Amino acid sequence: MTNSIHEIRDADCIFITGSNTTEAHPVLSYEVIRAVKKGATLIVLDPRRIPIVKHATLHLQPKPGADIYLFLAMAHIIIRDGFLDEPFISQRTEDFALFEQSVKAMTPERAALETGIPAKQIEQAARLYAMGQRSFGSSIYEDSQTAPYRGHSTILYAMGITQRSNGTDLVHMLANLAMLGGHLGKPSTGVNPLRGQSNVQGACDLGGLPNVLPGYQPVTDAAKRKTVAEKWGLTDLPAQLGLTVVELTQAAETGQVKALWVMGENPMLSDPDVTHVESALRNLDFLVVQDIFLNETAQLAHVVLPAAASLEKDGSFTNTERRIQLLQPVVKPPGEALPDWQIIGAIAPKVEARLGHDRPDGYWDYGSSAQIMTEIAEVTPIYGGVSYERLVGQGLVWPCPTPDHLGTPILHVGQFSRGLGRFYPVELHLPAEQPDEEYPLILTTGRVLYHYHTGTMTRRSDGLDWIAPRGYVEVNPVDAEQIGLQDAGQVWIVSRRGKVRTQARVSDKVAAGVVFLSFHWKEAPANRLTQDFALDPIAKIPEYKACAVRLESTKRKGKKIKNSGAG
Amino acid sequence: MSKITLTIDGKSIQTEAGTSVMTAALANGIDIPHLCYHADLLPSGGCRLCMVQVEKHSKLEASCGLICQDGMAVETDNETLTNLRRDIIDLFVSDHPLNCVVCDKNGACDLQKYAYQYNIHETHYDFELSKTDYCADNPFIVWDHQYCIQCAQCVRVCDEIVGANAIDHAGRGFNSYVATPFDIPMAESDCVFCGSCVQVCPTAALLPRQKIGQGREWEMERIRTICGYCGVGCSVEYACKDGQIIYAQSYDNAPVNGSYLCVKGRFGWDFVNKPDRLTQPLIRKDLAYQLGLTDEPWQLPDKSVLQGKAKFDHYLPVSWGQATDIVADKIADTVQQYGPDAFGGLTSARCTNEENYIFQKFVRVAVGTNSVDHCARL
Repeated sequence: MTNSIHEIRDADCIFITGSNTTEAHPVLSYEVIRAVKKGATLIVLDPRRIPIVKHATLHLQPKPGADIYLFLAMAHIIIRDGFLDEPFISQRTEDFALFEQSVKAMTPERAALETGIPAKQIEQAARLYAMGQRSFGSSIYEDSQTAPYRGHSTILYAMGITQRSNGTDLVHMLANLAMLGGHLGKPSTGVNPLRGQSNVQGACDLGGLPNVLPGYQPVTDAAKRKTVAEKWGLTDLPAQLGLTVVELTQAAETGQVKALWVMGENPMLSDPDVTHVESALRNLDFLVVQDIFLNETAQLAHVVLPAAASLEKDGSFTNTERRIQLLQPVVKPPGEALPDWQIIGAIAPKVEARLGHDRPDGYWDYGSSAQIMTEIAEVTPIYGGVSYERLVGQGLVWPCPTPDHLGTPILHVGQFSRGLGRFYPVELHLPAEQPDEEYPLILTTGRVLYHYHTGTMTRRSDGLDWIAPRGYVEVNPVDAEQIGLQDAGQVWIVSRRGKVRTQARVSDKVAAGVVFLSFHWKEAPANRLTQDFALDPIAKIPEYKACAVRLESTKRKGKKIKNSGAG
Repeated sequence: MSKITLTIDGKSIQTEAGTSVMTAALANGIDIPHLCYHADLLPSGGCRLCMVQVEKHSKLEASCGLICQDGMAVETDNETLTNLRRDIIDLFVSDHPLNCVVCDKNGACDLQKYAYQYNIHETHYDFELSKTDYCADNPFIVWDHQYCIQCAQCVRVCDEIVGANAIDHAGRGFNSYVATPFDIPMAESDCVFCGSCVQVCPTAALLPRQKIGQGREWEMERIRTICGYCGVGCSVEYACKDGQIIYAQSYDNAPVNGSYLCVKGRFGWDFVNKPDRLTQPLIRKDLAYQLGLTDEPWQLPDKSVLQGKAKFDHYLPVSWGQATDIVADKIADTVQQYGPDAFGGLTSARCTNEENYIFQKFVRVAVGTNSVDHCARL
């Protein structure tokens, strides 16, 4: 996130797109609720009528993938109607003229024709967001009290934007909208991705990516690579880009990758096209899985290593607002289970010895997590000022380059990291797999409130499993009627990759032509249906949010499912 | 914002215009008794315990809803106020059982705290419970109406913070109570089981079910850590006894989440105790056979792992020494035979910064490839 979570409560306008905030980030949604109760406007742009819509000023409900029309049209309207923050654009950005040209053709009327959303509503969304207009009450920010009375608007987005074959473009587009309204570098503004896992931010920050070293230092940058290499006592590091998670499984299937070490992941449920994933993992010469349970991926492993859960160890997590916070062990790990860092620390020197690498004594001997953090601070400029002593209490928000730096809760204040903010013209691009006669519906996937990712933890929690014991598919009554499907009946969802049987919830939460399925349940694995052939060209993220499917009746009626609350 | 000056209990206090007397007093270390006030919620003025005497005001005022005025002189404690508060607590305990010895909130109950402070050990009114329903229709929250004092913090937190609006007042007068719409079970209401109502409840009316009968508040050790679920990074305080977690809650002014959590963070930690946790390194029987650790040949069945249950009998337990040797052998063999790019590592968004750091360092330094990734994309 460019801004902090607690700033959201003071925003004047909140624009949520591609995030089912109340279910996937419940506590962050409380900030949105608090803002709305004080008079902020809330615009929700989402293909489903997600729970937060009941608090929204405006809900724009395009089909999955059609949001691009709306973003382009919103930019068109902001420019056409003069809702621009001209001083911000002239002083802090570049390539505006190019961008202006790129949205000229996308009038609200055209977007309305393409999406079925009235032009008036698109115009209203553009005005509310760009001008930060409230529904009542006054802004707490002084700069909003004088002409042009522009409030502070914030964008919240999540995987609905990024898990798309044009995800990078869409993020650029949100940044373009923020720059048009000058909603960056100030409190309660920004472009804020809500990240889905406890330490997904930290895993990225510290080099758990095939293209960057810790602190987002590109592996292709010789100077940076050399600096890190020297800190690690080497002369250089591999310069060639590595494979991403989806590419790794594809390479395992072709036999290019022979051995895989999976730590705390479950690609058998989380990756696209899991039928492919299973045959790829079975094709490996060696698979080692390190986890807290014998999850679906571990069941294919040659060696399974027992790890401690986050409640059983110390260390630090970095949250979605870049706040680095300390963990404390609450209980002891069961049996011989060990914290992951100790397992890696035991295996690494053995691998090095077998490969004949000559390392100084104790090279992999870290006495504690704190000691690893000391090395992280030396190698990672954005964590340069971080130490365990400083993390006690409130933690630190990176970039925090030096020991006396207080952290950076708001990015891009006064100046962007690259200097001027660049407007990226974004092309119209629709999901790679479009519905056709054979597969007439669009499947979109996501989480539900009561489960987390592949359910390894939540499905073993008595309460959570009681309230949401099985998966379901949301189907619009119009599509249900086509195949004689009733609420709570069983249905097959079929894509070009495979088929899944589950219970239907017939409701207008999804529009006609759209079905929603969660990926938590191995009994109805949504990712047996999703495709892995069209990844975002830059981020290599699979398009989980849109693929083509059809429904097939099973002629079974079934019992009505207990309400899961969240609805 | 303009500053104003007032005196509270003779102490001169500067505060922002628009601040309530309660907020100004608390910020300056003056604790006005209260049962329905909560810093994050709109004042309701319902409990009347926070009444204060204001110079030149003819009546006593509820300090939670009284806005500070320049030059105001407030007294928060005197004989009149003490007598009033004693009477209010007396009224509360005429409709609240004083069976503190067996109560799970004992030691953490605000009503108990004030009854002790004002020495009210029984009611002088006729004792009558307005509602005695005990509702345990879900695995998360136990709702024991006899302990409810109608402070409505639960109703307000559900509306003002969570936005679920699952509960509200029903009935009139003495018979009013907090209810789901038409008294439907909580699981059928709009309740999202975040437990924020449990967090703010000053009495035993709302308790985490996990806690019932598991020990007294003062026997529990409290350990704070960061939730392991989504990326918001909420702080959670675990109350533990004998090395086991009893229940989880948040605490005031936690860095990210203030006093609030969601259903997963508050109630979804019990996976740690499950009997199918991995407790020792395992080696699959076909590899064990190849390595001579067993005499029985074996083959992984072709049936998809998505069908059926996880089978521990596919594996043999081995020591950490054996397991790490086997892993190191296999990785080193792969690198020597096919080169470093034949190896891949998936690190984890559920592991710590430190673990991610040394994992990627292992892949880059020991193996010599950049093929390390994790589920950020998934």
